[in-house]
Amino acid sequence: MPLIETRALTKRYGEHVVALNELNLEVEPGIIGLVGANGAGKSTLLKILLGLLDPTSGSAEVMGKDVTRSGPEIRQFVGYLPEHDALPPDVSATEFVTHMGRMSGLPRSAARERTAEVLRHVGLYEERYRPIGGYSTGMKQRVKLAQALVHDPKLLLLDEPTNGLDPAGRDEMLDLVKRTGTEFGIATVVASHLLGEIERVCTFLLAIDAGKLLRAAPLASFTMHTGTLGVEVEDRADELAARLTADGLTAAVQGRVVLVDCPDEKPYDVVRDAVDDLGLALVRVEQRRHRLEDLFRTDEQPAVVA
Amino acid sequence: MTTRESASGAIYDLGYQGYDGPRLGRSAAITTLFWDSLRASFGLGRSGRAKIIPWGLTAFMLIPAAVAAAIAALVPVGGASPFSYDNYLFGSAPLLSLFVAAQAPELVSKDQRHRVLALYFSHALLRSDYALAKVGALAAALFIVCVLPMLVLFLGAVLAAADVAAAVGDQLGNIPQILGAPLIYAVPLAALGLAIAAWTPRRAYATGAIIAVFIVTAAVAGIVEQASQGTLGQWIPLANPFVALDGARDLLVGARNVDAVGTRSLPLWIYGAETLAIALAGTGATLWRYWRLDP
Repeated sequence: MPLIETRALTKRYGEHVVALNELNLEVEPGIIGLVGANGAGKSTLLKILLGLLDPTSGSAEVMGKDVTRSGPEIRQFVGYLPEHDALPPDVSATEFVTHMGRMSGLPRSAARERTAEVLRHVGLYEERYRPIGGYSTGMKQRVKLAQALVHDPKLLLLDEPTNGLDPAGRDEMLDLVKRTGTEFGIATVVASHLLGEIERVCTFLLAIDAGKLLRAAPLASFTMHTGTLGVEVEDRADELAARLTADGLTAAVQGRVVLVDCPDEKPYDVVRDAVDDLGLALVRVEQRRHRLEDLFRTDEQPAVVA
Repeated sequence: MTTRESASGAIYDLGYQGYDGPRLGRSAAITTLFWDSLRASFGLGRSGRAKIIPWGLTAFMLIPAAVAAAIAALVPVGGASPFSYDNYLFGSAPLLSLFVAAQAPELVSKDQRHRVLALYFSHALLRSDYALAKVGALAAALFIVCVLPMLVLFLGAVLAAADVAAAVGDQLGNIPQILGAPLIYAVPLAALGLAIAAWTPRRAYATGAIIAVFIVTAAVAGIVEQASQGTLGQWIPLANPFVALDGARDLLVGARNVDAVGTRSLPLWIYGAETLAIALAGTGATLWRYWRLDP
């Protein structure tokens, strides 16, 4: 039984806006990155999984239960961190997280104990007794994470968890997310449009674009070697490319980098000799890897030098 | 569940602990929301400022009954008290209106304004559970506010009597009214007040709208009634929800309130029907609002 399964899941807003278009997914536990541009349908998918939105057609199951029929049973075991602000300003973090724990079905004493523990885990100490209204954005994000964790969920849905945080805050939040997934062993879906962040914490990737699944695979397969060698030189990249082409390689110029097709080891020697002969200042030679950005890049191909 | 311990036995880092205990599910979530909202209706667990209005209005509700009871106890001769089970709640209509206007938004506006609703709806309850728990909590709060002065009147009547046991016996017949009338007032007022408050995330608008519906309709109905003649005039007081509620209370008691004959001349079942309609329509509108709302 997959953790999350959707079949031909479709969500339309009105006549023309299609947020999800016949999406088919099967997701196993892990730290799953849900990537896509703004408006790709990430938040819509999370909201449907939570039962906050009803799908227009198709179906979705979480832990083997249908989201439209078994909302409360599923949500007992799901934690959700929304993208937007969702905290009342006039209560303290302790009161609020305890309350939310009880809203998940924890008995009162268990909710209190778990609150103290998760607030410590997310790094809120003395300030947890003060009203949330006075907290910084970073502290508010921690409270949002704490309320999502208080009932020890089996599945954690995080919508843009680093929204509005400064670089240091981002790092801390990403570390927390990573610990939650690995150390606490909670299956986590992180929706983000920031690919760099996804790369840092996730083990599996779901890329969606315009409501359709672009690709679903382990993160490693997105960043495999491409079979391209990047040769960066101080200047005269054009000359180098021309020389390499003359030597029988396929080479293209991209700024100060010459991209060379590299199916075997032979091009290394040819590049070394060419750089030496032309007397170029060599900066680096590296094996190119796929980057996540390539998923969403369709236009710019480097010009090939004939 | 294990804790990591060092060789010396001191606990270094508890690590993350899972939770294997009971999960009480939807019913516990509803109960929690109900009790928390009932407490919030009186500002309990909130700042001191949040207590001023509900406690102040509850005190004003009690003062006339308490004063009447005190006078009856101190001056045994005593003529008829101006306050009775029959007229007390109707006479308190402005205070009850203010209580609803102040506390209905307290229960629901913040959740919309600060989008806490998205978190509630992603927990172990349904949207309709949320709506009904809130209506129920406000109704329970209003019941408490209404039943307290009735109990004071009861105690006043019993304690002022020379023969307490006989007085208790005399008062037994009033028990349905002492408990029933507050219920008749509380449920429709809560349903109507919440239906209005749920419609906007802005607390001030909600308060204003409730005052408009509860107090302004009463005033306008009164003025129009004075101006109009004939049978049509009998129907105009129905525009005032409190006239309907008190008519329903008459229905419960089985007798027309003598103080109010002038404004209520229609058959009593009409007032009962309107009271029921207010309760159902208010609850329905609240449910519909939360059904449609995008948190």
